[in-house]
Amino acid sequence: MAIDFGRWRGPIVVAGFLLAAYALMVVSAGAQAQDQFINALTIGAVYALIALGYTMVYGIIELINFAHGEIFMCGSFVSWWLLTTLGFTGAIGDPLVLGGVLVLTFITAMVVMGIVGVVIERVAYRPLRNAPRLAPLITAIGMSFILQNIVFVTISNSIVTIPQILPNTALTFGPIAIRQINLFVIVLALGLMVALQVFVRRTTLGRAMRSTAMDREAAQLMGVDINSTIALTFFIGSALAGAAGVVQGLYFGVTHFQIGFQAGLKAFTAAVLGGIGNTTGAAIGGFVIGFIEVLASSFGYGRWSEAAVFGTLILVLIFRPTGILGQQLADRA
Amino acid sequence: MRFTKLAVFGMGAVIAFGACSGAASPGASGGGGIAVKIGIELPMTGGEAPNGVPTANGVQLAVQDIQVPGFTVTISQQDDAVNGKHDATQGAKNMSTLVNDSQVLFVVGPYNSSVAQAEIPVSNAAGLMQCSPANTAVQLTKPWGSAKPTDLRKTNPDKIAYVRVATTDDNQGSGMADIAYNTIGAKSVYVLDDTQTYGKGLADAFTNTFTKFGGTLLKRDGVSDKTTDFTSYVTTAKGLNPAVVAYGGVTTSGLGLFRKQMAAQGLQTIPFVGGDGIVDGSFATASSFLQIAGDGDTNSYGTVAAIHDIPDAAAFATKYKAKFNTDPGSYSAPGYACTQIFLQALKAVGSGVTDLGQLREKIRAYVADSGNKYDTVLGSFNFDKDGDTSQHVISYYKFDPTKKDWAYFKQRDFTADPVK
Repeated sequence: MAIDFGRWRGPIVVAGFLLAAYALMVVSAGAQAQDQFINALTIGAVYALIALGYTMVYGIIELINFAHGEIFMCGSFVSWWLLTTLGFTGAIGDPLVLGGVLVLTFITAMVVMGIVGVVIERVAYRPLRNAPRLAPLITAIGMSFILQNIVFVTISNSIVTIPQILPNTALTFGPIAIRQINLFVIVLALGLMVALQVFVRRTTLGRAMRSTAMDREAAQLMGVDINSTIALTFFIGSALAGAAGVVQGLYFGVTHFQIGFQAGLKAFTAAVLGGIGNTTGAAIGGFVIGFIEVLASSFGYGRWSEAAVFGTLILVLIFRPTGILGQQLADRA
Repeated sequence: MRFTKLAVFGMGAVIAFGACSGAASPGASGGGGIAVKIGIELPMTGGEAPNGVPTANGVQLAVQDIQVPGFTVTISQQDDAVNGKHDATQGAKNMSTLVNDSQVLFVVGPYNSSVAQAEIPVSNAAGLMQCSPANTAVQLTKPWGSAKPTDLRKTNPDKIAYVRVATTDDNQGSGMADIAYNTIGAKSVYVLDDTQTYGKGLADAFTNTFTKFGGTLLKRDGVSDKTTDFTSYVTTAKGLNPAVVAYGGVTTSGLGLFRKQMAAQGLQTIPFVGGDGIVDGSFATASSFLQIAGDGDTNSYGTVAAIHDIPDAAAFATKYKAKFNTDPGSYSAPGYACTQIFLQALKAVGSGVTDLGQLREKIRAYVADSGNKYDTVLGSFNFDKDGDTSQHVISYYKFDPTKKDWAYFKQRDFTADPVK
């Protein structure tokens, strides 16, 4: 999970990318460029939140956790369950109640999905930690189906409506008009990403995670509890996916037991695009995919959106096989 | 390499959950005689239940109502929904199951055109007649663009084993265009489709007629049927500011969600027109277009590729309600009519025939013969040489905000009143 690129190179590249994307949106969408830019940032933020979990898990145990998309899906169902149980049907007008319910929903979904992530790791991955690499990959696919199956048998196998508790109001900051929900999603996602960076870089537990990712045996010799560090990684990654699940409900107002596959695929692509194992890369990858999708639609080639996303992935990987931020991959990968 | 794994993973999903349903359920025909079956091949579960269940009920009702001396007719019920969504592979599998059951002489279904594309080769090879109550994609029976129906009938190109009582999407698309241009008075349109067989064909047909009327196509695009994010398309609509948005597709492809996101961006005043893929029940029906669209559904219009003013609508509705304790769905009467066709054929060619294989072929030949007329709950009609009904009526619906349901307002017979 190391981040080592030139101090200013990163920000310059990001700013350049955003400017280029905005210019393309002006070309394709004209007066709607700003709206399209916000659409892209919002969906990109969702992909980025999910991608973080993929990349963290890969960084620490070199496992593609295929069940991760389903964690996102289950998170959306947790928010559905909580909000409908509390009796909400639509927007909450009182800002205090709204704030309280939002905090409660996010904490519940993040904690529940964090625990589910830890349990999955304990049950399906830890026993196979020293097994051939294909084995945990298969158990991951297995867990993914089990989670889907549980949801579609016990809850619903069709589209489920989630109450959208954020009022649909537009805010204006000078020349920028943005809907409250979009601002909320973008700020929340960026906040969680910054919090993750601070945690990984500045805390003892974060240092334990980084050292485990670098060299598990050496970390163990230095007194790091490998099992609980890996469990912690799963907790954090799954909690972020749980938060993305809540965002799905707030933003789109619907969920379905199969949304995890598509979203997981995109987020996994984002992680690979950014440089798998690298948290900043995963976040960047998520936004890049968001922008490609929205640009495809903005130019009137929505039909080609998947081809555009995966075509970009192929191009990036041809020229930078380790992804945008090009982390040195462990030789076991 | 990762993606190869993912592709395998996706196929695994289909296989893993593909194995469901298939038991024969008893129909209600009493008396003795030769035991024969009518197959029902419809999507019955999940988001598709509002489509398949009322249609299958129509078949059940007909089997109960009409007796054919010398035969006991029971139903073999199949479900082509996999994880709550219609699935072409499952449909073809179900069709093979029905083909391999020698007692099955006729099949009612499927509901979705993409499923029909996978089933027609199977029923054609076996010579088992199927009657779809709801399929509307043109290329299933007539050439459309580069697609030819004979591509689906490779085994017996000249033997028709597929007929339908619903009219085709060229008419349905014209109906949508009629609503957009004449009812709403819209002169400009933004057209989307869900990239599937039905959705794209319908959107193409809509565009043809709408521009023929003199309307302007502002933009045409397709959206994956697997996404939940339509925000960028809605923003595009905002920029185009069309007088109407037309969308070819079904609720499970996300049309309700698109409409909901239109409302979220303040575009609920722009009318929305869809085909029979969105006329799937009231606001109270779980997972229906209207329920998902929520506050955005005012100003939504839809069509149904079937006659609404059936000759004895009230009597049919009463009979249906007495048995199922709910109002008939859009395709309940067509399901009933398909069954009437089978029973009429059985009556006409069945007497004295004891060999089931021979009987199956005789029924196929009878229904394929365009000279035979049928007096059904939909009115009287015959099939042309391609298996298309001579009845070309499209019914128009508009969302009624007080009843929170689709309200029928008009039907147009495209035989008597074609698009000029």
